[in-house]
Amino acid sequence: MREPVIRGVGLVASLGYAAAVAWLYATQPQNVAQVTGGFASMVGVYKIDAQAFADGIRFFRGNQFVEARAALQRADPAERDAHTQFYIAYSYYREGWGRLYNDDALFGKGVAAVDKAIALAPGGRLAVDDPDLQMRSADELRAELQRGMTREASDFNPLRVFGARK
Amino acid sequence: MSAVREAVVLPLIFLTVTLLGGVQLGRTVSLVPPSLFTLVLSTMLLAALVRSGALAPDRLLAGSRSGLANANGVVVLATLFAAASQLLGMLTPRSGLPLFFVSVFLFVLLLNTLVAQPDRVRLLRSLAVILGSALVLKFVILAALSGPSGSRTARVLVALFDAATFGTIAQEPQPPGGGYLAFFAAGLFLIGVGALPTPRPGSSSGLPALQTHPQR
Repeated sequence: MREPVIRGVGLVASLGYAAAVAWLYATQPQNVAQVTGGFASMVGVYKIDAQAFADGIRFFRGNQFVEARAALQRADPAERDAHTQFYIAYSYYREGWGRLYNDDALFGKGVAAVDKAIALAPGGRLAVDDPDLQMRSADELRAELQRGMTREASDFNPLRVFGARK
Repeated sequence: MSAVREAVVLPLIFLTVTLLGGVQLGRTVSLVPPSLFTLVLSTMLLAALVRSGALAPDRLLAGSRSGLANANGVVVLATLFAAASQLLGMLTPRSGLPLFFVSVFLFVLLLNTLVAQPDRVRLLRSLAVILGSALVLKFVILAALSGPSGSRTARVLVALFDAATFGTIAQEPQPPGGGYLAFFAAGLFLIGVGALPTPRPGSSSGLPALQTHPQR
């Protein structure tokens, strides 16, 4: 092979490898699925498992939130799909919501998941067209989760017990 | 030096070391970027490599070479720098007095190597000893002191030692894979450094020779 060809191929391969290393440092994937999913989404070929997603939505609507999250996480193992991450965040909200008090730990996980969804959505705007949900945008869900974790005078309002979960 | 070695082999080796050097195994796997101090150490190491003749920069970057060849040279130098930073960071303990003493140890050894200006073979031997001793210190000695011990006597001795040193010696327990990873990365780095281009016969180093004029 001619020397310029070797040098050109070597340069392109080195720059590609360096970009992959830099991407790994920047995104800190925790498992192989996140690595492969990340690379797949970079080239636009990442797809979630539709069957697992459908299972997750079915569990979510049946108020089986732990099962829903297990299925949704199986559907999106690389955590690269904004809609799936939105539903995971919503499941934390619904599970953590209470008439007397909210579960801050679950709400905190919900904020982390919805932040992930917002980061993945184009332009940071995520709207979900689902009539079963009262909050159909990631911004509403994030604000509700954060409000739920904030201590304020209205938390002691006895009428709060009549509030409804969204 | 062949084009394959310069354009493919060396960047591949050094980028792999860069990747492995940042890996921190624990409950989760994380990739840690280099600290400022390891960047300083890496700069000193590169200077020592050039002064000893283990690396001839003029064989990687020169006006007489084509643009593509110079780009390959830049990649080799940049990846060598990154790999050295990450490897030195990997071999440095994470906290406490060991972090301080090993940092000083590496700094003094590299400074001494830089000033002593050994030849290529001696520098490579010295580098192997520096990396090897840092590896043994972190992944064998400190890991044994910090790891969960099997026997009750060993646990009591470690607890006494930790109390006597106000907890400044003990490190976070190292998973077994960490030492093997460091060993592999250090070996790969030494192979890469050994394969760097050396000065052409007749020139004392890769740097342009200084013009000296006799006193009249």
